[in-house]
Amino acid sequence: MTMIALHVNRRAVELSAEPRTSLADFVRERLDLTGTHLGCEHGVCGACTVLLDGVPARSCITYAVACEGADVTTIEGLDADEVTTELRAAFTREHALQCGYCTPGMLVSARDLVLRLPDADERRIRVGLSGNLCRCTGYVGIVRAVQSVIEARRARNIAPQADGGRTHLGPAGSGRATSSREELQRARQALAPASESATPGRIPDFTPATVLDQRFTLPHPPAKVFAMFDDIAAIAACLPGVSLTAPPRPERVEGSIRVRLGPIAAAFEGAARIERDPATLAGRIVGIGTDQRSHSATQGEIRYRLVPLEGGAATAVELSIGYTLTGMLAQFGRPGLVRDLARRLIAEFAGNLDRHMSGAPSRSAAELSFWSIASDVLRARLARMFGRVFTGKGSAE
Amino acid sequence: MKEGADLRNEREFPSGSSGQGVGARLPRKEDDRLMRGRGQYVADIRLAGLHDVAFVRSPLAHARIRGIHVPEHHRGSVFTAADLVGIKPIRAVSGLPGFKISEQPVLATGKVRQVGELVAMCLAPTRAEAEDIAASVTLDLEELPAITDMLKAREPGSALVHEHWGDNVFLETNYEVDISAAFDAPIKVTREISTARQCMSPLEGRGVVATFDRRLDQLTLHSAAQMPHITRSGLAECLDMEEGRIRVISPDVGGGFGHKGILLPEEVCLSWLTMQRGHPVRWIEDRREHLVASSNCREHHYKITLYADRDGTLRGIDCEATVDSGAYSSYPFSACLEAAQVASILPGPYKMPAYRCRTFSVATNKCPILPYRGVARTGVCFALELMLDLVAAEAGLEPGEVRLRNLVLPEQMPFDNITRKHFDSGDYPEAMRRALAAIDIDSIRVRQREGEADGRRIGVGISIYCEQAAHGTSVYAGWGIPMVPGHEQASARLTPDGGLELRVGVHSHGQGLETTLAQVAHEMLGIDVAKIRIILGDTAMTPYSTGTWGSRSMVMAGGAVATACRELGERARRIGAKLLQHDPAAVVLQNGEVRGVNGSVSLKAIAHTWYRRPQDLPADVDPGGLEVTQGYKPVRDSGTFSYAAHAALVAVDPDLGEVEILDYVIVEDGGVLVNPLVVDGQIYGGLAQGIGTALYEEMPFDASGQPLATTLADYLLPGPTEVPAARLDHMETPSPYTQFGVKGIGEGGAIAPPAAIANAVNDALRPLGVEMMQSPITPHRVVAAVLAARAAERSAA
Amino acid sequence: MKPAPFSYERPRDLDAALSMLAASTGSAKIIAGGQSLGPMLNLRLVQPELIVDISGLAELKRAEVSGGELVLGALVTHADIEDGRTADVTRGAMRAVAANIAYRAVRNRGTIGGSLSHADPAADWVSALAALGARVTLRSLTGARTMAIQAFVVGALESALRAGEIVEAVHVPTRTVSSHWGYAKSCRKTGEFAHAIGAVLVDPAAASARVVIGAIDTTPIVVTDAAELFGGRIAADYKQRFDVSVADALLTKAGIDDAAQRHIHVSVLKRAVLEAAA
Repeated sequence: MTMIALHVNRRAVELSAEPRTSLADFVRERLDLTGTHLGCEHGVCGACTVLLDGVPARSCITYAVACEGADVTTIEGLDADEVTTELRAAFTREHALQCGYCTPGMLVSARDLVLRLPDADERRIRVGLSGNLCRCTGYVGIVRAVQSVIEARRARNIAPQADGGRTHLGPAGSGRATSSREELQRARQALAPASESATPGRIPDFTPATVLDQRFTLPHPPAKVFAMFDDIAAIAACLPGVSLTAPPRPERVEGSIRVRLGPIAAAFEGAARIERDPATLAGRIVGIGTDQRSHSATQGEIRYRLVPLEGGAATAVELSIGYTLTGMLAQFGRPGLVRDLARRLIAEFAGNLDRHMSGAPSRSAAELSFWSIASDVLRARLARMFGRVFTGKGSAE
Repeated sequence: MKEGADLRNEREFPSGSSGQGVGARLPRKEDDRLMRGRGQYVADIRLAGLHDVAFVRSPLAHARIRGIHVPEHHRGSVFTAADLVGIKPIRAVSGLPGFKISEQPVLATGKVRQVGELVAMCLAPTRAEAEDIAASVTLDLEELPAITDMLKAREPGSALVHEHWGDNVFLETNYEVDISAAFDAPIKVTREISTARQCMSPLEGRGVVATFDRRLDQLTLHSAAQMPHITRSGLAECLDMEEGRIRVISPDVGGGFGHKGILLPEEVCLSWLTMQRGHPVRWIEDRREHLVASSNCREHHYKITLYADRDGTLRGIDCEATVDSGAYSSYPFSACLEAAQVASILPGPYKMPAYRCRTFSVATNKCPILPYRGVARTGVCFALELMLDLVAAEAGLEPGEVRLRNLVLPEQMPFDNITRKHFDSGDYPEAMRRALAAIDIDSIRVRQREGEADGRRIGVGISIYCEQAAHGTSVYAGWGIPMVPGHEQASARLTPDGGLELRVGVHSHGQGLETTLAQVAHEMLGIDVAKIRIILGDTAMTPYSTGTWGSRSMVMAGGAVATACRELGERARRIGAKLLQHDPAAVVLQNGEVRGVNGSVSLKAIAHTWYRRPQDLPADVDPGGLEVTQGYKPVRDSGTFSYAAHAALVAVDPDLGEVEILDYVIVEDGGVLVNPLVVDGQIYGGLAQGIGTALYEEMPFDASGQPLATTLADYLLPGPTEVPAARLDHMETPSPYTQFGVKGIGEGGAIAPPAAIANAVNDALRPLGVEMMQSPITPHRVVAAVLAARAAERSAA
Repeated sequence: MKPAPFSYERPRDLDAALSMLAASTGSAKIIAGGQSLGPMLNLRLVQPELIVDISGLAELKRAEVSGGELVLGALVTHADIEDGRTADVTRGAMRAVAANIAYRAVRNRGTIGGSLSHADPAADWVSALAALGARVTLRSLTGARTMAIQAFVVGALESALRAGEIVEAVHVPTRTVSSHWGYAKSCRKTGEFAHAIGAVLVDPAAASARVVIGAIDTTPIVVTDAAELFGGRIAADYKQRFDVSVADALLTKAGIDDAAQRHIHVSVLKRAVLEAAA
């Protein structure tokens, strides 16, 4: 818990809350200001919009603790506000609300438009309100209402506030806080303890949902490369982020893979088995793993086939990587990003193999991993969060 | 462009010109509290000792549950199916022959059949902590093949959602009238058409606050629900409790659109939990849960053939329709309402001599479906109206001509169509003619020949539909689902100071019933709407009702309020006559007063007498007093038929695939409008949702049944710049069967836009050889189709 | 949809912030406006043990022109740029880009440094600043280093930031008077992230052009010497000389194997070229 002091609707408030408490939950649950509504909790719908130091901000993705010292105004604080009063009259006249759930956030954004854009035409009003979703009205009454208030104020020669009244730089709501007292022991939150190990007992066969083919060349003879592929510990060492948790046997390799993608980290714990066919210089590694934090699971396989090159002096490694991912991390799909990651991680894997066979140590800084193709989904998830649609061929069509 | 009062023939409009009665464009009574943040939605309810619930949900679409591992220190806060002793699964059985029953356990037992299915319930002082506990629970699941493609699911050998069925079909129906008579038609057009799976996405999700009142021995369930009485009946069945021991309160509701029309497993779970724990519990659906785990709608596939003569006259329709019903049959509408409805409504307002439609309600490993605004009509309208444009192209006619040739004519009203739908009234060709004139189709054709300076292509599309609404007993008895609407009831009570309290069992989730029902009461009694209070959304305080769905509230509850108020007025009139020393036959109730030749007495004075000075009442006064509950049904309960013609003008950028709606016209006939302001709002709002269906909204799944649009950045809802300033024109043909001649209109706005917009896009792209037969029409789909057409042209050349 | 628990620190200055980062075991995350990290925290995609809130650091809120370039502190918001609270050396280019990022409520808190750190290929600044020839300064306890924007973004959501390092400032060169600027993006909805971006800085007088194709699934394609896209040389008639097949080939090379997707990217780039030439 952290003590948070700020002003809400011109009233000084000092309360302790967990740092993870959003400003929206803070005003709703701690101050009972329930006019601020949560519609998506990821910054898209706009229902939670409040004024932070006088300008609109998303209270669902702004943490209360980050608003230390700030002025927060919720819809309840706009009861007597002049512009909001005009807007309310126009909203009811134009039937700009039905269920009313988006209305508080809509009014906060509309007030900002009225103040900033005295010349806004219908198009600019629509663009200006595009961060606030309404599922009921089709926006007709809302746009008319805002337009009528803007026109009425222009007729009364009321000057705009071009910058929303802001004069200093930086995120709205920031800059009033004093620094945290570092000499104090950090009050660490106890993280949820890891649950019991979920290493699977059985490694099932499966048909991968996605298969990626890659080919790279190693300046070593096929036999040497094939032998290398039999050295489980060495292969694991070439796979960035992989660590073995038990002595490997071909029929069962237990380990974990840490995947890092931007700010996201996942650790898949699992097991794999290895199949090889010396006659064809081909093999397969098939495994299954789960990431407890995200409740996601992956099944993956690496098929490889070695093709002699340059009269046997070099080897072309043909890799086919297949995987299926389920759970929270799977529910986003961007095949293009998968390929981008796969290319990079295979390049790294190949480089490590090459270095290993040349006697140099693997680079282990990155945590990208073979199995971590999961991370492409992490990445995809992130990317999709921010509104991009499916690209490339794949499941979207 | 109103038709004027002369159309309100034999109806009663005693309020005259007070400006508050039926027909008044009255601003809403509910607005003020909502605009000040003083509404009370379910998440706003505060009860002492309230704890939050988060659920552990299945990450897999189809799997056997081998184990649920709860860390030792959370064992007292986590509940699974094994704990829910005596709780019954949700069953929504249809009486249609051949229907296969699914049982939806409120917490999964044995198998999970959709991603997001509830597996365990976690309790903590806050939602964040409850989510922490949920994150610590691990599931041991054995994955089974997921059934995600409804067409493949129909094939023999498919994996099974419900093993004991032997296949994946909830219900198959077949309707046929003389189809072979159409086979020799000179024009025959066949296509496959599909609409995407959607999430209804009201801005407020579902939510439940449950508590148990020991004094009353009563469970109180606050729920964001459209149909509180039906929720209570469903809860009573699952909990095996007397209905009297359950009270369901639905407070302010942040949009419904059908999403809040079903009984939730979460409602059953929290009811059980509060009774176990003795303190209030709360679960608020977050957006991710809504998108991943809640009910969906609208995934239709049509294989359809239209037969026509060279002049565009329809000879028949032959269709096979498949609807992806998801994993379970949801309560009370069932898994097959939608597909089975397709067969009866596909012909719409068109005349034809031959017809055949087979339908399949298919179970898959996806969320259950429920009726979304427009229900099956949106898909049906999309399929039929796209096909009619193809017939027009084949016949070399304007699309509008084909419509006008086949629409039912006003002189044929009332009209029974080929599926025996009984059309009450209306002039469909007139609506279409007005729409064509308003969009100015002739100028558009000229403009198309000239081309656009910016390289885009413009196109015009039209569509028309009929919306059967407020259909009642006779229709629903035929479905055999757990809910059959009968007489709708309303209670009206004069307060001692002359105000009016109305109690109704329907519920408002944005429709403005607190205003429009007050207008109805004002019409009957002349009481100022400011003094009329509407009480709804509480089973303890309102008469039983199936609730708000099917565009029925104004027809049914409006009729009930009028009926109750008429009786209340009659009782007041008789007391007033006595107070005026008049023969009752010689006094009238007008503008809130009982008037005779000697003078008048106000309802306020009459109420004061009844409650405070009973000594002044006549001896033979009606002992029922000034509180009346009355029931209402229209003269016929086969439903009202409102309708609208939509016309869209779009510009399509073939290189970017972007579709811009340049103009949009709606000519709507909703019968007599109680509050045109509110009606317009319903139509505009429906249009926005229809645009979402046409261009933006889609819930895709991967092959393993993982839903792929899990945030509002993936599942795109139309914003202010995606919805045009549409132009609206009203016709007002009264229904001959209802009070005041009103018709239900709540869903209509969402029905026609996908068809009109798709037809417009196809009109724009037809010269390029492009045909879009799938919604939503995304930029990628457009560009891919344009490139494919170019490639085909090259290879042909 | 609530975040997993985290600790929170608000350092008093940049050095303190860097010390906290350095001392953390790798699970610390920097937050500024929180417009990218907030949603990820709420969805529990990111579960850091420690959040270091730098939003109050005055050192990162500067905006000054020096040595022919504009130096923007990492905490300058999109709205600061949109409203003109910062100097503009790009002759309106940056203001126009800023004004079309997401929504006003997001722009009031979202920062230029945060957006770059996030390294989303679909973000506007990643493409626009690369086209404008901007550089970024990264600072850690051991010192600072500066690199071009296109070197900073190494992959989708992957930046060149090392552990313990943060974006300190962005350096934007002054745009020449003779240069033309074009910026186009295709979004399915207003304010949503783009699924195609084209950014063009052409100076026919200097016979130079920088071209960026952004919002592809990986690092944007940055062509610093873009003559090849204009038939081999940049001149006043560059609009007519724009060669879509070269752009298409660049996209193919970048691994975009979906033809419709490539077509959209090329069309958006063409739109940017037309805007520059308008």
